[in-house]
Amino acid sequence: MPSNDELRVMALSLQVASVGTAVGLPVALGIAWVLAKSAWPGKSVLDTLVSFPLVLPPVVTGYALLLLLGRGGPLGGLLERLEVDVVFTWGAAALAAGLVALPLMVRTIEVALAGVDSRLEGAARSLGAGPWRVFATVTVPLAARGIAAGVVLGFARGLGEFGATIVVAGNIPGRTQTLPLAIFTDLQVGDDAGAVRLIVLSLALALGALLVHHRLVCRAAA
Amino acid sequence: MDAPFLALRLAKTYGDFRLDVDFELRPGITALYGPNGSGKSTTLDCIAGLVAPDSGEVRLRGLALFSSQGRVNLPPERRRVGYVFQDSLLFPHLTVLENIRYGYRRTPEVHRRVEIDALVEILGLGLLLKRKPAGLSGGEARRVALARAIATSPDLLLLDEPLASLDGAHRGRALRSLKALRRETDVSMLYVSHAISEALAIADHAIALSGGAVVASGTPHAVLRHPSVRPMAAGEALENLLEVELVEHRAASGLTLARLSTHDLWLPQVDGPADGTVAVSIRAADVLLASEPPRGLSARNVLRGTVTEVGDLGPAALVTADIGAPLLVEVSPEARESLGLAPGREVYLIIKANSIAVLG
Repeated sequence: MPSNDELRVMALSLQVASVGTAVGLPVALGIAWVLAKSAWPGKSVLDTLVSFPLVLPPVVTGYALLLLLGRGGPLGGLLERLEVDVVFTWGAAALAAGLVALPLMVRTIEVALAGVDSRLEGAARSLGAGPWRVFATVTVPLAARGIAAGVVLGFARGLGEFGATIVVAGNIPGRTQTLPLAIFTDLQVGDDAGAVRLIVLSLALALGALLVHHRLVCRAAA
Repeated sequence: MDAPFLALRLAKTYGDFRLDVDFELRPGITALYGPNGSGKSTTLDCIAGLVAPDSGEVRLRGLALFSSQGRVNLPPERRRVGYVFQDSLLFPHLTVLENIRYGYRRTPEVHRRVEIDALVEILGLGLLLKRKPAGLSGGEARRVALARAIATSPDLLLLDEPLASLDGAHRGRALRSLKALRRETDVSMLYVSHAISEALAIADHAIALSGGAVVASGTPHAVLRHPSVRPMAAGEALENLLEVELVEHRAASGLTLARLSTHDLWLPQVDGPADGTVAVSIRAADVLLASEPPRGLSARNVLRGTVTEVGDLGPAALVTADIGAPLLVEVSPEARESLGLAPGREVYLIIKANSIAVLG
């Protein structure tokens, strides 16, 4: 059985990945919709930017996030005035997880949205539904399978996030130490047995995510 | 002077194809007739707001839906124009009832003129309401799409080939549904079809399109006889699509007696009880004409009528005979000559019961 410490690490990892995915989802939906359903001159720039967190070393992504949220950063000043401290908290870890998960979510959701017949959306418009309502009542339900797949993929990616997290959230046991960071720490201090136990936990979580994914896909298909 | 019900003037270029049309509609049912690729569906898309014309103006009841000069382009959801697509386009994730309610729910109460229960009744959808579109036949899906569009109480209903690719019973059912809707509601329709027979059966007015331009307009019969429409219609097996009232079955002879205006009409045996109406199709080429009352004839139906119009249709002559309803008859030019067919001439129309197709 996992120890209390290990359970805490796991719970924190789940919290970080869930919140990160939840924050990233609306952004991913919006970007995916723009990429799949609209045409404008600068679209290819957005298309390229979205892939950045996928191809950059996560450490760089984390540093960018640190510059953005830290003192003197564009958002950092605002956060300071609101007396909210994000950097080196689990919130920062969640943001890092959401950001690295974003490209995977956008790409999967984009394909799903593009697969929805735009004439069905036109039919909905002619029945009196505005663009937002059509999105919510026709596009999203018909793309639900792909959106769910994107979310689970993003969640799994968020669970494994390491490089960006350690830069922007640190590696504080009990506060920002997620599973990959805890494994890294165990290996650093030579506690191989501890590392293996956490690796097994990681595997269990990944397997769980895949099972959820499978069930969602099957239910959407039924 | 009153503004026309719908005034439309638009131009739209797609690659080599240029649509350039200008017409007005009166309330009622107007058929937009033309061969495939003549610009019919694009015209509907422009009226519905799904496609923006390059230039022009669309006014419905005086309200500008689109005006390139006035920089108006109302979004589809604010046009109060219903659209029944050729492939129905039902929402696959919703049940039949949810599909029908989709637009109804979004129609402000002050605009509602039809209730869903009444539509379900008229279109015979009662048994389908809980089904998903994937389980429907093409004809059923078409009727649901019709109900879904009409449930929004549109000012104008656009129908894209509502009978095309339906066979037999479904075609008859759809035809009768349209006629019933026309009787029970007062919704005006713009009905796109590449079959002039349908225009003749359903519409009050017709507009013929060819190569992206209007080539004729007027009553459906006048449009059919227009010199630029005749060649288009000549390729089509012209049929008379009629709704007849069932009277009784004659099991012994395997026939069913029906009534068409004041005439008795014998049909091949119709399934089900002998009440209500069915749609039948009588091909114009299957009707014989006689100048005297024929005797000793095997054909069961001899209807007396009066010739109202005579014209050419490709190599054949096309005669319209009034038997309480106009019936089209194709005869050879020689027969036209020898029978002395001219407006006002009394004729006898001979129709074999078995050449009448009961659509259902």
